[in-house]
Amino acid sequence: MSSVKERADLALNNDFLRKAVRFTTERLRDGKRKAADDHGNWEEWRERGRQIRLHTIAHLDYYLHRFAEQARANGAHVHFASTGEEAVRIALEIAARKQARSVVKSKSMVSEELHVNRALEEAGVETVETDLGEYIIQLAGEAPSHIIIPAIHKNRYQIAELLSREAGEELPPETSVLAGFVRRKLRAKFLEADIGMTGCNFAIAETGSIVLFENEGNARMVSTVPKTQITFMGMERIIPSWSDLEVMATLLPRSATGQKLTVYMSGITGPRRSADGDGPEEMHIIILDNGRSEQLGDPEFQELLNCIRCGACLNACPVYRHIGGHAYGGTYSGPIGAVLTPALNKNVAEWDDIASASSLCGACYEACPVKIPLHDMLVYLRRRKVEQGYGNKLETAGMKGFAAVTANSKRFHQVLKAGRVLQRLVVRNGEIPAQIGPLKGWNRYRVAPSLANQPFRERWDSLQHELRASVEQTGTGAVAQERMREALLQRAAARPEGNGVPGRTHEVSGDQDGNATVRKEGQTYDG
Amino acid sequence: MMDNEYYEWLKTKEAEARQKQEQFMDRIAGKLKRPRQREAPAHPFRGAPAYWRELDWSLEERLARFEENFTAAGGHVVRLANFEAAKAYIAAMAQTLGARYILRQDDPLLAELGVDEVLTAEGARVSVWNGHRSEAWITRAAEADFGIVAADYAVAYTGSLVVRSAPEKGRSVSLLPTALFAIVPVDRLKTRLGEVLETFDKAGREALPAGIHFISGPSRSADIENDLTIGVHGPGVVFALLVG
Amino acid sequence: MERRNQADTITATVTSMAGAADTAKTNIKVSMFATCIGDALYPRIGEAMARLLARLGVSLEFPPGQTCCGQPAFNSGYWEEARRSASTLLEAFADSDFVIGPSGSCIGMIHHYPKLFEHDPVRLKMAEELKAKSYEFTQFLVQVLGVTDLGASFPHKVTYHPSCHGSRLLGIKEEPMALLQNVKGMELIPLPFAEDCCGFGGTFAVKMADISGAMVTEKADHVLETSAEVLTGLDMACLMNIAGQLRHRQQSVRVMHLAELLDEGVSGT
Repeated sequence: MSSVKERADLALNNDFLRKAVRFTTERLRDGKRKAADDHGNWEEWRERGRQIRLHTIAHLDYYLHRFAEQARANGAHVHFASTGEEAVRIALEIAARKQARSVVKSKSMVSEELHVNRALEEAGVETVETDLGEYIIQLAGEAPSHIIIPAIHKNRYQIAELLSREAGEELPPETSVLAGFVRRKLRAKFLEADIGMTGCNFAIAETGSIVLFENEGNARMVSTVPKTQITFMGMERIIPSWSDLEVMATLLPRSATGQKLTVYMSGITGPRRSADGDGPEEMHIIILDNGRSEQLGDPEFQELLNCIRCGACLNACPVYRHIGGHAYGGTYSGPIGAVLTPALNKNVAEWDDIASASSLCGACYEACPVKIPLHDMLVYLRRRKVEQGYGNKLETAGMKGFAAVTANSKRFHQVLKAGRVLQRLVVRNGEIPAQIGPLKGWNRYRVAPSLANQPFRERWDSLQHELRASVEQTGTGAVAQERMREALLQRAAARPEGNGVPGRTHEVSGDQDGNATVRKEGQTYDG
Repeated sequence: MMDNEYYEWLKTKEAEARQKQEQFMDRIAGKLKRPRQREAPAHPFRGAPAYWRELDWSLEERLARFEENFTAAGGHVVRLANFEAAKAYIAAMAQTLGARYILRQDDPLLAELGVDEVLTAEGARVSVWNGHRSEAWITRAAEADFGIVAADYAVAYTGSLVVRSAPEKGRSVSLLPTALFAIVPVDRLKTRLGEVLETFDKAGREALPAGIHFISGPSRSADIENDLTIGVHGPGVVFALLVG
Repeated sequence: MERRNQADTITATVTSMAGAADTAKTNIKVSMFATCIGDALYPRIGEAMARLLARLGVSLEFPPGQTCCGQPAFNSGYWEEARRSASTLLEAFADSDFVIGPSGSCIGMIHHYPKLFEHDPVRLKMAEELKAKSYEFTQFLVQVLGVTDLGASFPHKVTYHPSCHGSRLLGIKEEPMALLQNVKGMELIPLPFAEDCCGFGGTFAVKMADISGAMVTEKADHVLETSAEVLTGLDMACLMNIAGQLRHRQQSVRVMHLAELLDEGVSGT
C-alpha cells in the first residue's frame, strides 16, 4: 500500500481535484456557518447533541438490546455481525435464499466499510448504487472521496463520459441531461430489483425504528419498492427516542450541507403492514461491530462512537482541502477518517502514517456538531504508536536529542551558543535559504530564520535593569497590582471545584451516573 | 418462495442472532467495566434544550415561515381559503402541466375535496390508492403524473410536510409521481419538528406506521460539480397547498 | 469559554491607571515564559512584552530554568520526551503567581500538562497549578489587567492571522481584536479565510512538507490579497512559517508579533 504522502502528492498535483475540493468544502462550510448562526445557541445544541450521544453510548447494551427487541416486535429480522465478513456473509445468504438477481443500494458508509458490492457481484447479483454521486463513482470503479459528496473529485466531462458509456450514446456534459438520464435508468432498476439495501443514520431504541436522511429520494425508493430490505447499521447508531431525533435532525443536516432538514427524513418502523400497498415485505437489519466496541471503555477514544457522519470536519479541515479524500486511503476520509480508520482496524504499524497528516489546528473539533476532540485523538494515536515501538527511527533519535537538550536549561543554552557558531556556514543576511538536512522540506516553500545573535536569556539582565527603573519611575503599578490580586482571589475561590481556571472551559461533567464521562479534565477546551 | 424451508432458515438465523446478541451485550458491558444494564437508565438529556420547547409561533407566523422555508428549498406554497379553492387550483395545474394520470391517497379529506370528478371531467384518469384492493400499486404510482396526499402534519421551522403510511396511504404516492400535491389543513401546521416527533414517542411502537416521511421540497442533488439539480429520483415539482 | 472578567472592565485604559499613586512593594510574582522559539530566534518579542508590561506597572522576572513546553515531542507522540522538557517549566514556575507567554500554542500546551502527567501525582498537582496561572500575553492584558488601550499609534495597513491553538483551543478571539482596534492611525484589513491553519503544525511541516507547503502558500496568497504592509498575530511559530513563505516569494510584507507592534506603537519608533 502506498503511503499517505504519496497519495497526497497525487492529489497536490491534480489541479482540478484541488479546485473542486476547495470549492465544495467552502460551499458546505459557509452553508453550515450560516445555518448554525440562523438557528442560534449553536453551542448549547452541540452540547446537547454530545450529551445524548454520550448517554446512549454509556448505556449501549441497554439501548441496543431494546432496539433489537423492538425491531423484532415490528416484524423485522435482526442480525448481529462482529466483523465485516460476517455481515457480508449474512447479506449474501439472504440474497441467495431470496434467489435475488439484483440489488439497489442507497448511500451507506457502513456498506463501503464492508465492500459488500464486490461480494454481491462475485455471487452473481447485480448491485447498483442509486445515489447520484455513488452511482458515478461506481461506474468509475472508485471509492467515495467525501462522506456527503462522494464524487467531489469528478468533473462534468468525466461524468458525461462515464454515463455516455452506460447510455450507449453521447450525452452532453450538462447537469440536467446527465441527471435526467440517471433518473430514467435507475427508475427501471428500482422497479425490477429484488432487494433494497440501505444504511442507517439513526436507530430509535424505544420503537425499533430506523431513520434515513437524504436529498434525492433514492433511499426512499430502496426502502419502498423492492420486496426485501436489508439495512446495515453500525452498532453505535442508536438514539433513545424520537424526541432525541429532534436534536440530531437539527445538528446533522445543518452541519453537513447547511440545510434546515434534508429533503427527505424517513422513519421506518418494520416491514410493510399486511394491508399496505407498498414497502418491503421482509426487512433485515444487520447490526455491525467491526472494531467499534474496541473503543468502548477507552477514555481516549470512546467519543469516536458519538460521530453522526455529517462530514463537517472534512469541510473545515485545511489538510483535506488540499489533498481530498482518496489520500486518506480508507473508507472514511478527513479528520474523522484519520482517527476512525486506525481505531477500527487496530493496525498499529500504519497508525502514524495517516495520523501524521494533520497540523492539529483543531478546526475539526470546532466544526464537530457533537464536539469530538479529533485533534487530541490524533495525538493519542501517535503516542500509542510510539509506545508500542513503531516510531520512526530517525524521528525517535531526534526526539531523544530534543529531550536531552530541553530537559536542562544549561544544556539548552549551550546548544544555542553552539548553534550560533555552526549556523554561520549557512546564514545569508540573517536567514537560512539552503534546502539542507532537516530544512530540506521547510525551505522548499520558505526561507528559515537564523538563531538570534543573543538569545533572550542573555539579554534578560540588562533588560531587567532598564525596566525596573522604568516601573519605579512611572509608579502606575497600583491598579495592575489590584487587578492581579483580584484574579488571584478568584482563582483561589474557584479551586475547590477545580473550576474557573484561566482560559479553560467549564466542562459539563457528562452523564450523571459518571460512566459516560470519558473525557477527562484538560483534554479539551471550548473556543 | 415463502415455503417451509425458508421459514425454518429464518428461525435458525433468529436463534443464531439471539445468541450473538447476548455476546454483543456482554461484550459492551465488559468493555464498559460494569454489569449489564438491563433497566432503562435515567435519561437526563432527552430531546431539545428546554428553551427550545417553549417556541410556539402564531398561526400567521407559522404560515409565513413554512412558506419561506419550503420555497427556499425549491417547493411551491399556495395559500387557499377552502377545499373548493384547493380543488380548483389542482384542476388548473393539471391543465397547465398536462397531467393525464393522477393517483391519490384514499383519505377522507381528499374524498371530501372532490377533485376526482373535476379531473375526470377534463379527461384525466384518477386512481385511488388502497392496499386492501389488489392492484400493482407501485407501478401505478410510477405512471402517475400527479400524486395527491393529505399531509398528517407540517412543520414551519424546517418547511416540512409529514406523511404517514397506511393501507390507504401508500408511501409511493408521495415518491414516484412526477409532481406531488400535498393538502395541508392549516391546523396541522406546527412550529417545531419536536412537536411532531414527540407524538411518535407518545403513541408508542405499536401505533407507528411502517413509513413516516418528512418531505422538505423537491428531490435534489448537487453531486455533479456542485450544480443543483432537481427531481433526481423523487418528485421534481412539489406543491404544498395550505388550506384554511 | 468562561470569561473571568466582565466586559465593563475591558474598557479600562492606561490613562485611568496613571492616576494611581500607590507604589507599595508587592509580593505578586509575575513570570515571563519566553518560549523556546522566542528565546532562540525572536528575543525581540520577549523584550517587547516585558516593556509593555513594565509601562503598566507589572515587573516580570525570568526564571532561567525554563526551556521549551515540549510540544514538538508531545504532538509527535513522544510523551516521555515531552515530560522531560515540560518538567523544566513545572519547576521554573513553581512559585510564580502568573506566567505569561507570547504564544497561544505554548500556553495551550501547558493546558495539556494534566493529561501529560496524569500518572505522576506530584507533577500532576504542579501541572494543574501551572495551567491555572498561565496566560497568553493578550489574555493577561485584557482579562487580568483589564487593559485594551495601550495608547499605541501605528499608521500602517495591518492584517491579523488568528493562530489556531490560541483562538480555537484557548478561545482567544476578542482580546487581540480589542487591542488592535484601539491602535491609533492603523488600518486593520480583514484577512480572507483568516481562521484557516497556516500549515505549521510543528513536525508536520517537516514530515508532510508538501501538504504544509500548500497550506502556507495559500495563507500567504491571502495575506498578499489584503495588500497589508504588516502581518501580525499572537504566535511566532505560525508567523515564522508565513514570513518564511513570504520571504521565499521575495515579498516585503513585514511580519510582527502583536507585542512588537504594540511596543513600537507606544514607544513611537
